Amino acid sequence: MYSLFLRITVLVALSVVFAASAAFAAGSSKPAEVRLAYLNGPRPWILGKADGSLQKALAVPVKWVNFASGPDALKAVAAGEIDIARAGSVPVAAALARKLPIEIIAVSGVIDSSERLIARKDITSVKGLEGRTVTYPPGSTAHYALLAALNVYGADASKVKQAPLKPADELAAWKRGDVDAAYVWGPFSNQLEAEGGHELLKSGQLQKDGYYLFNVYVVSKKFAASYPDTVSAFLRAFRDTVNRYKADPDAAAKSIAAELGQDAAAAKQTLAGLEFPDLKEQLDTKWLGLGKSESGISKSFADTARFLVNLGELSRRDLPSSFAPFINSAFIAAAVR
Amino acid sequence: MHPEKTSFGKGRAVAVSLAAVTLFVLLWSAGGRFGLFNPLLLPPPEEIWATGREMLTDGYRQLPLLYHVAISLGRVIGAFIPAVLVGVPLGLAMGLFPVLRAILDPFVQFFRPLPKLALIPLVILWLGIGEVSKVFLIFISALLTVLVGCAAAVGGADRNRLRLGRALGATNRQLLRYIVFPGALPEIFTSVRLAVGVGWTTLIAAEMVAADTGLGWMVLNASSYMRTDIVMLGIILLGLTGYMLDMLIVALQKAVVPWDGKA
Repeated sequence: MYSLFLRITVLVALSVVFAASAAFAAGSSKPAEVRLAYLNGPRPWILGKADGSLQKALAVPVKWVNFASGPDALKAVAAGEIDIARAGSVPVAAALARKLPIEIIAVSGVIDSSERLIARKDITSVKGLEGRTVTYPPGSTAHYALLAALNVYGADASKVKQAPLKPADELAAWKRGDVDAAYVWGPFSNQLEAEGGHELLKSGQLQKDGYYLFNVYVVSKKFAASYPDTVSAFLRAFRDTVNRYKADPDAAAKSIAAELGQDAAAAKQTLAGLEFPDLKEQLDTKWLGLGKSESGISKSFADTARFLVNLGELSRRDLPSSFAPFINSAFIAAAVR
Repeated sequence: MHPEKTSFGKGRAVAVSLAAVTLFVLLWSAGGRFGLFNPLLLPPPEEIWATGREMLTDGYRQLPLLYHVAISLGRVIGAFIPAVLVGVPLGLAMGLFPVLRAILDPFVQFFRPLPKLALIPLVILWLGIGEVSKVFLIFISALLTVLVGCAAAVGGADRNRLRLGRALGATNRQLLRYIVFPGALPEIFTSVRLAVGVGWTTLIAAEMVAADTGLGWMVLNASSYMRTDIVMLGIILLGLTGYMLDMLIVALQKAVVPWDGKA
């Protein structure tokens, strides 16, 4: 009896030591869990959530945490509760200026017609918004796009009445007739069109005037330094989901919409309104660039941050001299190798 | 028991309170200086002070800081006064007439604990995105508090005095005017004081409705840009202003109900 007990104890102890050394042999390069922050916008990587393929590709448990907005997701990163998050360029610019310990690892999508300015039928130009009420989700890429549009099309921003609202509340205000226009993303923009609105502008039209609006993946610096292989594996898995979306947009939109509990047609339209630059292409200086020198993305962040300073949202003393140090394309480089 | 008369006097209490606050701020500042916590998560008092001075000169989002304080105060007071004007008589009536109480009680008890945030989508649909919906949210929270307090306050009237008044031939109106109301007044004030607190608390919910002014909005907006310094400043201003409102009511109570606490 005694010897049996002893044998079992030895066996258990040995297997624990073996398991521990196996984990160590793997370079201790795998986290116990990867915590991802996702928003409600339909995006290809949700495919990896729907069928568990992302977790399989990372070979570690993945915890998906939902947030109502980019700023909320970034706050969770600041609190150490999230490892990788998708967020818009505007909240990320603010977070970087406020010295959040994060790095930008990739562009997850460029906003073309996924965010649009929808107005009542009698408003036919951006300038026509003068004297009318426009609503937008505050602190978002849509907010930035609205103010950029007013600037580009020569409308006097002080004559446009601004009503910051959450997207779902925008629809209620529209139905009551309290607002005449809304800058917002899908599926809300589609709902406003169904309620008698028409498209005045899509964010992609602002690109020729230097206003680039995009989403990025950010990673907490600590996580990136400890588990670089997992970050690269994540980017490869992200690329796979984009490829799957491109191969069959209809089927992808359907399963993404089902996973998020949204309308499939609106999800398809939102997805079609996004551009997904290839990972390899993102190493070009037009996007993230290689190394820590200035690139298209770092300049876009600088523009966005300056814009937020002029708006009074950020303090001038918080403005970094360059955003290039916050961009780390090493993970893409490893992923495409 | 009167605290003034014990060995731990009022002056001493103030001195100890001040010392406690000073010590707290010093520890907070030292913690920031020695890097005990991340300045992004908890900005040190010096940074909040600098931000406060910056905003006193430049304002927040093109509007002076005091304007934001004033508009928030305006919303709360604008909701609070009608809440008292409606709530006190209605609450007293509920206390006096069991039938009325039976009718209104289910609604009052249903709405009172309801988080006011849950009402926002409906309030926008019904009242729009202007000042009315913001004031309404504060009004409804304050009103319900006043109603419950005043209905209970009627019980504060002395039964023997009521009997005596009736025996001496007082009309219902006179009983209300000379016995019920003065007897209930201390508790009415307590409920009014609670209502100011509740109204001030609802301010954040109210200023989530399409606001671009006010202290509550300032805190919410600054948080989307990680401006924890402004968030902290806003919280400090919210706390101080609420404290002052409360002191004002207490002063009013002392002036109007000098007999409170005396047998």
